[in-house]
Amino acid sequence: MSPDPDPDPGSDSVPIFTALNAERIKLTTLRSLWITPLLSFVLTAGGTTAVTAALGGKDHTITDDPGVGVFYGLNFGQAALACFAILLIGQEFNTRMIDVSLTAVPRRGRLYGAKLTLGALVGLGVGSAGTAGSFAGYAATVPGAWDGPGFARSATAGVLYPVLLVVFCLGVTTLLGNLTAAMGLLVPVVFLLSPLLGGVPGVRRVVQFLPDRAGQYALHYADDPRVSYGHWTGLLIMALWTGAAAYGGLLALRRAK
Amino acid sequence: MIEIQGLTKEYDGRRVVDDLSFEVRPGLVTGFLGPNGAGKSTTMRLVLGLDRPTAGRALVGGRPYTELTQPLRQVGALLDAHALHGGRTAGGHLRWLAASNGLPQRRVDEVLAQAGLADATGRRIRGFSLGMRQRLGVAAALLGDPPVLLLDEPVNGLDPEGIRWIRNLLRELAAEGRAVLVSSHLMTEMALTADHLVVIGRGRLLADATTAEFIERHGRTRIRVRAVNPTKLAALLGSDLLRQSDPDADLAATQVDDGAWEVTGAEPEQIAALAAAHGVVLYEIAVQQDSLEEAFMRMTADNVEYRAEAAA
Repeated sequence: MSPDPDPDPGSDSVPIFTALNAERIKLTTLRSLWITPLLSFVLTAGGTTAVTAALGGKDHTITDDPGVGVFYGLNFGQAALACFAILLIGQEFNTRMIDVSLTAVPRRGRLYGAKLTLGALVGLGVGSAGTAGSFAGYAATVPGAWDGPGFARSATAGVLYPVLLVVFCLGVTTLLGNLTAAMGLLVPVVFLLSPLLGGVPGVRRVVQFLPDRAGQYALHYADDPRVSYGHWTGLLIMALWTGAAAYGGLLALRRAK
Repeated sequence: MIEIQGLTKEYDGRRVVDDLSFEVRPGLVTGFLGPNGAGKSTTMRLVLGLDRPTAGRALVGGRPYTELTQPLRQVGALLDAHALHGGRTAGGHLRWLAASNGLPQRRVDEVLAQAGLADATGRRIRGFSLGMRQRLGVAAALLGDPPVLLLDEPVNGLDPEGIRWIRNLLRELAAEGRAVLVSSHLMTEMALTADHLVVIGRGRLLADATTAEFIERHGRTRIRVRAVNPTKLAALLGSDLLRQSDPDADLAATQVDDGAWEVTGAEPEQIAALAAAHGVVLYEIAVQQDSLEEAFMRMTADNVEYRAEAAA
Protein backbone atom coordinates (compact mmCIF):
# COMPACT_ATOMS: atom_id res chain seq x y z
CA MET A 1 0.00 0.00 0.00
CA SER A 2 1.80 3.13 1.15
CA PRO A 3 5.35 2.58 -0.06
CA ASP A 4 6.52 5.42 2.11
CA PRO A 5 4.95 5.08 5.54
CA ASP A 6 5.33 7.97 7.90
CA PRO A 7 9.12 8.26 8.19
CA ASP A 8 9.06 9.75 11.65
CA PRO A 9 5.77 9.32 13.47
CA GLY A 10 7.16 10.92 16.59
CA SER A 11 8.04 14.22 14.98
CA ASP A 12 5.95 17.32 15.38
CA SER A 13 3.35 18.03 12.70
CA VAL A 14 4.17 20.15 9.64
CA PRO A 15 7.13 22.28 10.70
CA ILE A 16 6.93 26.03 10.29
CA PHE A 17 9.57 26.08 7.57
CA THR A 18 7.67 23.53 5.46
CA ALA A 19 4.50 25.55 5.90
CA LEU A 20 6.38 28.70 4.93
CA ASN A 21 7.73 27.01 1.82
CA ALA A 22 4.17 26.05 0.83
CA GLU A 23 3.07 29.66 1.32
CA ARG A 24 5.93 30.80 -0.88
CA ILE A 25 4.76 28.48 -3.68
CA LYS A 26 1.18 29.74 -3.22
CA LEU A 27 2.49 33.26 -3.80
CA THR A 28 4.57 32.46 -6.86
CA THR A 29 1.79 30.45 -8.51
CA LEU A 30 -0.78 33.25 -8.36
CA ARG A 31 -0.22 36.30 -10.54
CA SER A 32 -2.02 38.83 -8.31
CA LEU A 33 0.19 37.88 -5.37
CA TRP A 34 3.52 38.67 -6.99
CA ILE A 35 2.41 41.54 -9.20
CA THR A 36 1.07 43.65 -6.32
CA PRO A 37 4.37 43.81 -4.36
CA LEU A 38 6.22 44.53 -7.58
CA LEU A 39 3.73 47.28 -8.36
CA SER A 40 4.15 48.62 -4.85
CA PHE A 41 7.89 48.98 -5.36
CA VAL A 42 7.46 50.63 -8.75
CA LEU A 43 4.87 53.09 -7.42
CA THR A 44 6.94 53.90 -4.32
CA ALA A 45 10.30 54.52 -5.96
CA GLY A 46 8.88 55.66 -9.30
CA GLY A 47 6.30 57.92 -7.70
CA THR A 48 8.92 59.77 -5.71
CA THR A 49 11.29 60.06 -8.65
CA ALA A 50 8.60 61.24 -11.06
CA VAL A 51 7.22 63.89 -8.71
CA THR A 52 10.58 65.22 -7.57
CA ALA A 53 11.90 65.21 -11.13
CA ALA A 54 8.93 67.30 -12.18
CA LEU A 55 8.80 69.67 -9.22
CA GLY A 56 11.72 69.04 -6.92
CA GLY A 57 14.23 71.43 -8.44
CA LYS A 58 11.79 74.31 -8.66
CA ASP A 59 9.34 74.07 -5.83
CA HIS A 60 10.81 73.35 -2.45
CA THR A 61 7.54 73.82 -0.63
CA ILE A 62 6.39 70.25 -1.16
CA THR A 63 9.77 68.90 -0.15
CA ASP A 64 10.31 71.15 2.81
CA ASP A 65 10.90 68.03 4.90
CA PRO A 66 13.12 65.62 2.93
CA GLY A 67 11.33 62.70 4.66
CA VAL A 68 8.04 63.82 3.13
CA GLY A 69 9.59 64.26 -0.29
CA VAL A 70 11.52 61.00 -0.32
CA PHE A 71 8.48 58.98 0.64
CA TYR A 72 6.02 60.80 -1.58
CA GLY A 73 5.72 57.66 -3.72
CA LEU A 74 4.91 55.54 -0.70
CA ASN A 75 1.46 57.13 -0.68
CA PHE A 76 0.76 55.24 -3.91
CA GLY A 77 2.95 52.22 -3.22
CA GLN A 78 1.32 51.40 0.10
CA ALA A 79 -2.08 50.97 -1.57
CA ALA A 80 -0.70 48.22 -3.78
CA LEU A 81 1.03 46.63 -0.80
CA ALA A 82 -2.14 46.66 1.29
CA CYS A 83 -3.98 45.02 -1.62
CA PHE A 84 -1.27 42.36 -1.66
CA ALA A 85 -1.71 41.65 2.04
CA ILE A 86 -5.50 41.56 1.84
CA LEU A 87 -5.38 39.24 -1.18
CA LEU A 88 -2.73 36.99 0.37
CA ILE A 89 -5.13 35.65 3.00
CA GLY A 90 -8.44 37.09 1.77
CA GLN A 91 -8.58 35.08 -1.45
CA GLU A 92 -8.34 31.90 0.63
CA PHE A 93 -11.47 32.91 2.51
CA ASN A 94 -13.40 33.91 -0.58
CA THR A 95 -12.53 30.79 -2.57
CA ARG A 96 -12.89 28.67 0.61
CA MET A 97 -9.44 27.32 -0.23
CA ILE A 98 -8.69 27.95 3.45
CA ASP A 99 -10.28 24.51 4.07
CA VAL A 100 -7.74 22.89 1.76
CA SER A 101 -4.94 24.81 3.47
CA LEU A 102 -6.17 23.70 6.89
CA THR A 103 -6.34 20.04 5.88
CA ALA A 104 -2.72 20.34 4.71
CA VAL A 105 -1.59 22.31 7.78
CA PRO A 106 -4.17 21.58 10.52
CA ARG A 107 -2.44 23.66 13.21
CA ARG A 108 -4.11 26.99 12.64
CA GLY A 109 -1.42 28.96 14.42
CA ARG A 110 1.22 27.41 12.22
CA LEU A 111 -0.60 28.14 8.98
CA TYR A 112 -1.25 31.70 10.14
CA GLY A 113 2.33 32.12 11.34
CA ALA A 114 3.64 31.00 7.96
CA LYS A 115 1.30 33.43 6.22
CA LEU A 116 2.38 36.35 8.44
CA THR A 117 6.06 35.48 8.08
CA LEU A 118 5.83 35.36 4.30
CA GLY A 119 3.89 38.63 4.24
CA ALA A 120 6.43 40.28 6.54
CA LEU A 121 9.30 39.08 4.34
CA VAL A 122 7.64 40.47 1.23
CA GLY A 123 7.00 43.72 3.15
CA LEU A 124 10.67 43.80 4.12
CA GLY A 125 11.73 43.29 0.51
CA VAL A 126 9.40 45.98 -0.80
CA GLY A 127 10.36 48.28 2.09
CA SER A 128 14.10 47.90 1.50
CA ALA A 129 13.94 48.19 -2.27
CA GLY A 130 11.34 50.95 -2.13
CA THR A 131 13.32 52.97 0.40
CA ALA A 132 16.58 52.59 -1.50
CA GLY A 133 14.85 53.44 -4.77
CA SER A 134 13.06 56.44 -3.25
CA PHE A 135 16.24 57.90 -1.76
CA ALA A 136 18.13 57.30 -5.00
CA GLY A 137 15.40 58.94 -7.06
CA TYR A 138 15.16 61.86 -4.66
CA ALA A 139 18.91 62.39 -4.46
CA ALA A 140 19.18 62.36 -8.24
CA THR A 141 16.47 64.93 -8.81
CA VAL A 142 16.48 67.25 -5.79
CA PRO A 143 19.55 69.30 -5.02
CA GLY A 144 20.33 69.73 -1.37
CA ALA A 145 20.45 67.66 1.76
CA TRP A 146 18.66 64.34 1.85
CA ASP A 147 21.11 62.99 4.45
CA GLY A 148 20.40 65.58 7.13
CA PRO A 149 19.54 64.75 10.72
CA GLY A 150 16.71 62.27 10.80
CA PHE A 151 17.91 60.42 7.69
CA ALA A 152 18.80 57.19 9.48
CA ARG A 153 15.48 57.10 11.32
CA SER A 154 13.50 57.94 8.22
CA ALA A 155 15.23 55.23 6.18
CA THR A 156 14.70 52.66 8.94
CA ALA A 157 11.03 53.58 9.14
CA GLY A 158 10.81 53.34 5.35
CA VAL A 159 11.90 49.72 5.61
CA LEU A 160 9.75 48.83 8.62
CA TYR A 161 6.55 50.67 7.69
CA PRO A 162 5.71 48.28 4.79
CA VAL A 163 6.41 45.28 7.04
CA LEU A 164 4.00 46.55 9.69
CA LEU A 165 1.44 47.55 7.07
CA VAL A 166 1.38 44.06 5.54
CA VAL A 167 1.05 42.29 8.89
CA PHE A 168 -1.62 44.77 10.01
CA CYS A 169 -3.68 44.17 6.85
CA LEU A 170 -3.22 40.38 7.12
CA GLY A 171 -4.44 40.50 10.71
CA VAL A 172 -7.50 42.61 9.96
CA THR A 173 -8.42 40.50 6.93
CA THR A 174 -8.16 37.30 8.98
CA LEU A 175 -10.16 38.91 11.76
CA LEU A 176 -12.92 39.75 9.28
CA GLY A 177 -12.52 36.42 7.46
CA ASN A 178 -13.61 38.05 4.25
CA LEU A 179 -11.71 39.57 1.33
CA THR A 180 -14.39 42.03 0.25
CA ALA A 181 -15.04 43.31 3.76
CA ALA A 182 -11.31 43.81 4.33
CA MET A 183 -10.90 45.74 1.06
CA GLY A 184 -13.94 47.80 1.88
CA LEU A 185 -12.69 48.66 5.35
CA LEU A 186 -8.94 49.01 4.94
CA VAL A 187 -8.56 50.73 1.61
CA PRO A 188 -10.87 53.72 2.22
CA VAL A 189 -9.99 54.14 5.89
CA VAL A 190 -6.22 53.89 5.53
CA PHE A 191 -5.76 55.60 2.20
CA LEU A 192 -8.56 58.09 1.99
CA LEU A 193 -10.17 58.88 5.31
CA SER A 194 -7.06 58.87 7.46
CA PRO A 195 -4.96 61.29 5.33
CA LEU A 196 -7.95 63.55 4.68
CA LEU A 197 -9.12 63.72 8.28
CA GLY A 198 -5.51 64.24 9.31
CA GLY A 199 -5.87 67.71 7.86
CA VAL A 200 -8.98 68.60 9.84
CA PRO A 201 -7.85 70.41 13.01
CA GLY A 202 -10.28 68.98 15.58
CA VAL A 203 -10.39 65.39 14.32
CA ARG A 204 -6.65 65.40 13.88
CA ARG A 205 -6.02 64.81 17.57
CA VAL A 206 -7.66 61.40 17.28
CA VAL A 207 -6.71 60.55 13.71
CA GLN A 208 -3.02 60.96 14.47
CA PHE A 209 -3.21 57.71 16.42
CA LEU A 210 -4.41 55.66 13.43
CA PRO A 211 -1.76 53.14 12.36
CA ASP A 212 -0.81 54.69 9.03
CA ARG A 213 -0.64 58.28 10.41
CA ALA A 214 1.48 57.19 13.37
CA GLY A 215 3.79 54.97 11.32
CA GLN A 216 4.34 57.58 8.61
CA TYR A 217 5.32 60.22 11.14
CA ALA A 218 8.53 58.26 11.67
CA LEU A 219 9.40 58.93 8.03
CA HIS A 220 9.60 62.69 8.64
CA TYR A 221 12.90 64.36 9.36
CA ALA A 222 11.42 67.34 11.18
CA ASP A 223 9.20 67.51 14.23
CA ASP A 224 5.60 68.46 13.71
CA PRO A 225 4.26 70.54 16.64
CA ARG A 226 0.71 69.35 15.89
CA VAL A 227 1.68 65.69 16.56
CA SER A 228 1.58 64.79 20.23
CA TYR A 229 4.19 61.99 20.15
CA GLY A 230 7.73 61.44 18.93
CA HIS A 231 8.85 59.84 15.66
CA TRP A 232 9.89 56.51 17.13
CA THR A 233 6.78 56.47 19.31
CA GLY A 234 4.78 56.82 16.11
CA LEU A 235 6.31 53.64 14.73
CA LEU A 236 5.66 51.97 18.08
CA ILE A 237 1.98 53.00 17.96
CA MET A 238 1.72 51.40 14.53
CA ALA A 239 3.48 48.29 15.86
CA LEU A 240 0.89 48.07 18.66
CA TRP A 241 -1.95 48.27 16.13
CA THR A 242 -0.20 45.58 14.09
CA GLY A 243 0.28 43.32 17.08
CA ALA A 244 -3.35 43.70 18.08
CA ALA A 245 -4.58 42.99 14.53
CA ALA A 246 -2.31 39.95 14.20
CA TYR A 247 -3.50 38.56 17.54
CA GLY A 248 -7.14 39.25 16.67
CA GLY A 249 -6.67 37.38 13.41
CA LEU A 250 -5.18 34.42 15.25
CA LEU A 251 -8.12 34.27 17.66
CA ALA A 252 -10.60 34.49 14.78
CA LEU A 253 -8.87 31.72 12.85
CA ARG A 254 -8.69 29.48 15.91
CA ARG A 255 -12.34 29.94 16.76
CA ALA A 256 -13.68 27.01 14.76
CA LYS A 257 -17.10 27.17 13.27
CA MET B 1 -9.13 3.49 9.62
CA ILE B 2 -11.53 6.16 10.80
CA GLU B 3 -13.27 5.82 14.17
CA ILE B 4 -16.20 8.08 14.91
CA GLN B 5 -17.38 7.97 18.51
CA GLY B 6 -20.48 9.75 19.75
CA LEU B 7 -19.82 12.60 17.35
CA THR B 8 -22.21 15.52 17.85
CA LYS B 9 -22.26 18.96 16.27
CA GLU B 10 -24.67 21.76 17.03
CA TYR B 11 -25.01 25.00 15.10
CA ASP B 12 -27.02 27.60 16.99
CA GLY B 13 -28.64 24.89 19.10
CA ARG B 14 -29.63 22.84 16.05
CA ARG B 15 -28.16 19.34 15.96
CA VAL B 16 -26.60 18.71 12.58
CA VAL B 17 -24.72 15.60 13.67
CA ASP B 18 -26.31 13.68 16.52
CA ASP B 19 -24.38 11.12 18.57
CA LEU B 20 -22.91 9.43 15.51
CA SER B 21 -20.70 6.35 15.93
CA PHE B 22 -19.27 4.18 13.19
CA GLU B 23 -16.00 2.92 11.75
CA VAL B 24 -14.50 3.09 8.31
CA ARG B 25 -12.42 -0.05 7.92
CA PRO B 26 -9.41 -0.64 5.69
CA GLY B 27 -9.85 -2.68 2.53
CA LEU B 28 -13.44 -1.60 2.01
CA VAL B 29 -15.28 1.14 0.20
CA THR B 30 -17.72 2.51 2.75
CA GLY B 31 -20.61 4.41 1.20
CA PHE B 32 -21.85 7.32 3.28
CA LEU B 33 -25.51 7.81 2.39
CA GLY B 34 -28.23 10.19 3.35
CA PRO B 35 -30.40 12.85 1.79
CA ASN B 36 -29.09 16.38 1.31
CA GLY B 37 -28.74 18.08 4.66
CA ALA B 38 -28.40 14.79 6.54
CA GLY B 39 -25.02 15.83 7.95
CA LYS B 40 -22.64 13.95 5.65
CA SER B 41 -20.44 16.92 4.77
CA THR B 42 -20.43 18.20 8.36
CA THR B 43 -19.31 14.77 9.57
CA MET B 44 -16.45 14.83 7.07
CA ARG B 45 -15.46 18.35 8.14
CA LEU B 46 -15.43 17.19 11.76
CA VAL B 47 -13.18 14.26 10.86
CA LEU B 48 -10.76 16.67 9.15
CA GLY B 49 -10.70 19.05 12.10
CA LEU B 50 -12.24 21.87 10.05
CA ASP B 51 -15.08 22.13 12.54
CA ARG B 52 -14.90 21.41 16.23
CA PRO B 53 -17.37 18.82 17.55
CA THR B 54 -19.83 19.78 20.30
CA ALA B 55 -19.30 16.31 21.76
CA GLY B 56 -17.63 13.04 20.84
CA ARG B 57 -14.60 12.60 18.66
CA ALA B 58 -13.31 11.39 15.34
CA LEU B 59 -9.99 9.57 15.11
CA VAL B 60 -7.93 8.82 12.05
CA GLY B 61 -5.38 6.07 12.59
CA GLY B 62 -6.07 6.41 16.32
CA ARG B 63 -5.39 10.15 16.55
CA PRO B 64 -7.39 13.33 16.03
CA TYR B 65 -6.72 14.76 12.57
CA THR B 66 -5.31 18.00 13.93
CA GLU B 67 -2.55 16.06 15.68
CA LEU B 68 -1.46 14.09 12.62
CA THR B 69 2.11 14.23 11.43
CA GLN B 70 2.06 15.39 7.82
CA PRO B 71 -1.68 14.75 7.46
CA LEU B 72 -1.67 14.40 3.68
CA ARG B 73 0.38 11.23 4.07
CA GLN B 74 -2.33 9.84 6.37
CA VAL B 75 -5.60 11.07 4.90
CA GLY B 76 -6.57 12.20 1.44
CA ALA B 77 -9.70 14.30 1.28
CA LEU B 78 -11.93 15.80 -1.37
CA LEU B 79 -14.52 18.12 0.13
CA ASP B 80 -15.55 20.77 -2.35
CA ALA B 81 -14.18 20.81 -5.87
CA HIS B 82 -14.89 24.54 -6.08
CA ALA B 83 -12.74 25.47 -3.08
CA LEU B 84 -9.73 26.32 -5.24
CA HIS B 85 -8.29 29.52 -6.61
CA GLY B 86 -9.07 29.66 -10.31
CA GLY B 87 -5.97 31.70 -11.04
CA ARG B 88 -3.59 28.86 -10.25
CA THR B 89 -2.71 26.11 -12.65
CA ALA B 90 -3.52 22.51 -11.74
CA GLY B 91 0.21 21.85 -11.32
CA GLY B 92 0.69 24.99 -9.23
CA HIS B 93 -2.11 24.02 -6.87
CA LEU B 94 -0.67 20.56 -6.30
CA ARG B 95 2.87 21.90 -5.96
CA TRP B 96 2.09 23.98 -2.89
CA LEU B 97 0.04 21.14 -1.41
CA ALA B 98 2.94 18.72 -1.88
CA ALA B 99 5.39 21.22 -0.38
CA SER B 100 3.15 21.78 2.66
CA ASN B 101 3.65 18.16 3.73
CA GLY B 102 7.19 17.67 2.48
CA LEU B 103 6.05 15.40 -0.35
CA PRO B 104 8.35 14.96 -3.37
CA GLN B 105 7.37 17.14 -6.32
CA ARG B 106 7.31 14.13 -8.65
CA ARG B 107 4.07 13.11 -6.90
CA VAL B 108 2.41 16.09 -8.61
CA ASP B 109 2.95 14.65 -12.09
CA GLU B 110 2.13 11.14 -10.90
CA VAL B 111 -1.27 12.01 -9.46
CA LEU B 112 -2.16 14.31 -12.36
CA ALA B 113 -1.49 11.41 -14.72
CA GLN B 114 -3.48 9.07 -12.47
CA ALA B 115 -6.42 11.50 -12.59
CA GLY B 116 -6.22 11.84 -16.35
CA LEU B 117 -5.13 15.47 -16.15
CA ALA B 118 -1.55 15.12 -17.43
CA ASP B 119 -2.32 17.43 -20.36
CA ALA B 120 -3.92 20.04 -18.11
CA THR B 121 -0.97 20.53 -15.73
CA GLY B 122 -0.18 24.03 -16.97
CA ARG B 123 -3.78 25.15 -17.44
CA ARG B 124 -5.50 27.55 -15.06
CA ILE B 125 -8.19 25.94 -12.91
CA ARG B 126 -10.57 28.77 -13.86
CA GLY B 127 -11.12 27.11 -17.24
CA PHE B 128 -11.82 23.66 -15.80
CA SER B 129 -15.20 21.96 -16.03
CA LEU B 130 -16.74 20.63 -12.82
CA GLY B 131 -15.64 17.16 -13.87
CA MET B 132 -12.03 18.31 -14.28
CA ARG B 133 -12.14 20.04 -10.90
CA GLN B 134 -13.37 16.78 -9.34
CA ARG B 135 -10.48 14.95 -10.99
CA LEU B 136 -8.06 17.56 -9.65
CA GLY B 137 -9.60 17.17 -6.19
CA VAL B 138 -9.10 13.41 -6.37
CA ALA B 139 -5.52 13.95 -7.55
CA ALA B 140 -4.95 16.19 -4.51
CA ALA B 141 -6.39 13.50 -2.23
CA LEU B 142 -3.99 10.92 -3.67
CA LEU B 143 -0.93 13.18 -3.40
CA GLY B 144 0.38 11.75 -0.13
CA ASP B 145 -0.47 8.14 -1.05
CA PRO B 146 -2.60 7.97 2.12
CA PRO B 147 -4.03 4.83 3.75
CA VAL B 148 -7.33 6.65 4.38
CA LEU B 149 -9.44 8.47 1.79
CA LEU B 150 -12.42 10.66 2.39
CA LEU B 151 -14.36 11.85 -0.63
CA ASP B 152 -17.49 14.00 -0.51
CA GLU B 153 -19.70 13.46 -3.58
CA PRO B 154 -16.78 12.77 -5.94
CA VAL B 155 -18.97 11.77 -8.89
CA ASN B 156 -20.77 15.13 -9.04
CA GLY B 157 -20.29 16.64 -12.45
CA LEU B 158 -18.44 13.66 -13.89
CA ASP B 159 -19.41 12.27 -17.29
CA PRO B 160 -20.17 8.54 -17.64
CA GLU B 161 -16.53 7.80 -18.43
CA GLY B 162 -15.47 9.78 -15.36
CA ILE B 163 -18.00 8.00 -13.13
CA ARG B 164 -16.66 4.69 -14.33
CA TRP B 165 -13.10 5.90 -13.68
CA ILE B 166 -13.84 6.91 -10.11
CA ARG B 167 -15.76 3.69 -9.43
CA ASN B 168 -12.79 1.59 -10.56
CA LEU B 169 -10.34 3.83 -8.75
CA LEU B 170 -12.21 3.52 -5.44
CA ARG B 171 -12.39 -0.27 -5.82
CA GLU B 172 -8.65 -0.41 -6.54
CA LEU B 173 -7.76 1.83 -3.61
CA ALA B 174 -9.79 -0.39 -1.28
CA ALA B 175 -8.26 -3.52 -2.78
CA GLU B 176 -4.84 -2.08 -1.91
CA GLY B 177 -5.94 -2.14 1.71
CA ARG B 178 -6.97 1.50 2.14
CA ALA B 179 -9.99 2.70 4.08
CA VAL B 180 -12.24 4.61 1.70
CA LEU B 181 -15.22 6.69 2.83
CA VAL B 182 -17.26 8.10 -0.03
CA SER B 183 -20.45 10.07 0.33
CA SER B 184 -23.09 10.22 -2.34
CA HIS B 185 -26.79 10.58 -2.86
CA LEU B 186 -26.62 8.48 -6.04
CA MET B 187 -27.87 5.10 -4.87
CA THR B 188 -27.28 3.15 -8.05
CA GLU B 189 -23.68 4.34 -8.07
CA MET B 190 -23.19 3.38 -4.43
CA ALA B 191 -24.71 -0.06 -5.05
CA LEU B 192 -21.98 -0.64 -7.63
CA THR B 193 -19.12 0.80 -5.59
CA ALA B 194 -19.63 0.34 -1.87
CA ASP B 195 -18.98 -2.83 0.12
CA HIS B 196 -20.34 -1.30 3.28
CA LEU B 197 -22.95 1.35 3.93
CA VAL B 198 -23.36 3.93 6.62
CA VAL B 199 -26.73 5.65 6.31
CA ILE B 200 -27.60 8.79 8.22
CA GLY B 201 -30.67 11.00 8.38
CA ARG B 202 -30.94 14.26 10.29
CA GLY B 203 -27.47 13.63 11.68
CA ARG B 204 -28.36 10.27 13.19
CA LEU B 205 -27.12 6.83 12.30
CA LEU B 206 -29.88 4.89 10.54
CA ALA B 207 -27.93 1.88 9.31
CA ASP B 208 -24.41 0.46 9.39
CA ALA B 209 -24.24 -2.76 7.37
CA THR B 210 -22.77 -4.37 4.30
CA THR B 211 -24.49 -3.37 1.09
CA ALA B 212 -25.93 -6.88 0.64
CA GLU B 213 -27.24 -7.00 4.22
CA PHE B 214 -28.79 -3.59 3.86
CA ILE B 215 -30.71 -4.50 0.72
CA GLU B 216 -31.79 -7.81 2.22
CA ARG B 217 -32.98 -6.20 5.44
CA HIS B 218 -34.75 -3.19 4.02
CA GLY B 219 -35.60 -4.29 0.49
CA ARG B 220 -38.26 -6.76 -0.59
CA THR B 221 -38.30 -9.73 -2.92
CA ARG B 222 -41.05 -9.51 -5.50
CA ILE B 223 -42.28 -12.22 -7.82
CA ARG B 224 -43.35 -10.94 -11.17
CA VAL B 225 -45.89 -13.14 -12.97
CA ARG B 226 -47.59 -13.00 -16.33
CA ALA B 227 -50.30 -15.31 -17.64
CA VAL B 228 -51.47 -16.28 -21.11
CA ASN B 229 -54.92 -15.12 -20.04
CA PRO B 230 -54.47 -11.88 -18.04
CA THR B 231 -58.16 -11.76 -17.06
CA LYS B 232 -57.96 -15.14 -15.32
CA LEU B 233 -54.74 -14.08 -13.55
CA ALA B 234 -56.38 -10.87 -12.38
CA ALA B 235 -59.35 -12.83 -11.08
CA LEU B 236 -57.04 -15.17 -9.17
CA LEU B 237 -54.60 -12.65 -7.67
CA GLY B 238 -57.18 -9.89 -7.23
CA SER B 239 -59.38 -12.17 -5.08
CA ASP B 240 -58.87 -13.54 -1.59
CA LEU B 241 -57.65 -16.85 -3.02
CA LEU B 242 -54.04 -15.77 -2.80
CA ARG B 243 -54.21 -14.83 0.87
CA GLN B 244 -56.22 -17.95 1.71
CA SER B 245 -53.57 -20.15 0.07
CA ASP B 246 -51.15 -19.31 2.88
CA PRO B 247 -52.91 -17.43 5.71
CA ASP B 248 -49.78 -17.28 7.87
CA ALA B 249 -47.71 -15.40 5.29
CA ASP B 250 -48.15 -11.75 4.50
CA LEU B 251 -49.00 -12.17 0.85
CA ALA B 252 -49.86 -9.22 -1.31
CA ALA B 253 -50.31 -8.79 -5.03
CA THR B 254 -50.45 -5.69 -7.15
CA GLN B 255 -51.02 -5.25 -10.83
CA VAL B 256 -48.05 -3.45 -12.35
CA ASP B 257 -48.51 -3.07 -16.10
CA ASP B 258 -50.27 -4.63 -19.09
CA GLY B 259 -51.41 -7.72 -17.25
CA ALA B 260 -48.27 -8.38 -15.19
CA TRP B 261 -48.60 -8.75 -11.42
CA GLU B 262 -46.12 -8.55 -8.59
CA VAL B 263 -46.49 -10.71 -5.51
CA THR B 264 -44.60 -10.11 -2.30
CA GLY B 265 -44.17 -12.41 0.67
CA ALA B 266 -44.39 -15.62 -1.32
CA GLU B 267 -42.04 -18.18 -2.84
CA PRO B 268 -42.22 -18.65 -6.63
CA GLU B 269 -43.27 -22.33 -6.19
CA GLN B 270 -46.34 -21.24 -4.23
CA ILE B 271 -47.48 -18.96 -7.01
CA ALA B 272 -46.85 -21.60 -9.65
CA ALA B 273 -48.83 -24.19 -7.67
CA LEU B 274 -51.70 -21.78 -7.01
CA ALA B 275 -51.92 -20.89 -10.70
CA ALA B 276 -51.88 -24.53 -11.72
CA ALA B 277 -54.63 -25.38 -9.20
CA HIS B 278 -56.86 -22.74 -10.73
CA GLY B 279 -56.00 -23.49 -14.33
CA VAL B 280 -54.10 -20.28 -14.97
CA VAL B 281 -51.25 -20.79 -17.41
CA LEU B 282 -48.22 -18.67 -16.49
CA TYR B 283 -45.51 -17.82 -18.99
CA GLU B 284 -43.35 -15.65 -16.77
CA ILE B 285 -42.27 -16.04 -13.17
CA ALA B 286 -39.38 -13.76 -12.29
CA VAL B 287 -37.88 -13.12 -8.87
CA GLN B 288 -36.88 -9.49 -8.42
CA GLN B 289 -34.84 -7.98 -5.59
CA ASP B 290 -35.35 -4.37 -4.59
CA SER B 291 -32.57 -2.05 -5.72
CA LEU B 292 -30.49 -0.18 -3.16
CA GLU B 293 -32.50 2.92 -3.97
CA GLU B 294 -35.79 1.14 -3.26
CA ALA B 295 -34.38 -0.36 -0.07
CA PHE B 296 -33.15 3.09 0.98
CA MET B 297 -36.50 4.74 0.30
CA ARG B 298 -38.30 1.97 2.16
CA MET B 299 -35.92 2.25 5.09
CA THR B 300 -36.17 6.00 5.44
CA ALA B 301 -39.94 5.76 5.07
CA ASP B 302 -39.99 3.13 7.84
CA ASN B 303 -38.01 5.42 10.07
CA VAL B 304 -40.84 7.33 11.75
CA GLU B 305 -38.58 9.96 13.16
CA TYR B 306 -36.92 10.58 9.87
CA ARG B 307 -40.26 10.85 8.09
CA ALA B 308 -41.49 13.36 10.67
CA GLU B 309 -38.33 15.39 10.19
CA ALA B 310 -38.55 15.23 6.44
CA ALA B 311 -42.13 16.44 6.48
CA ALA B 312 -41.24 19.33 8.74
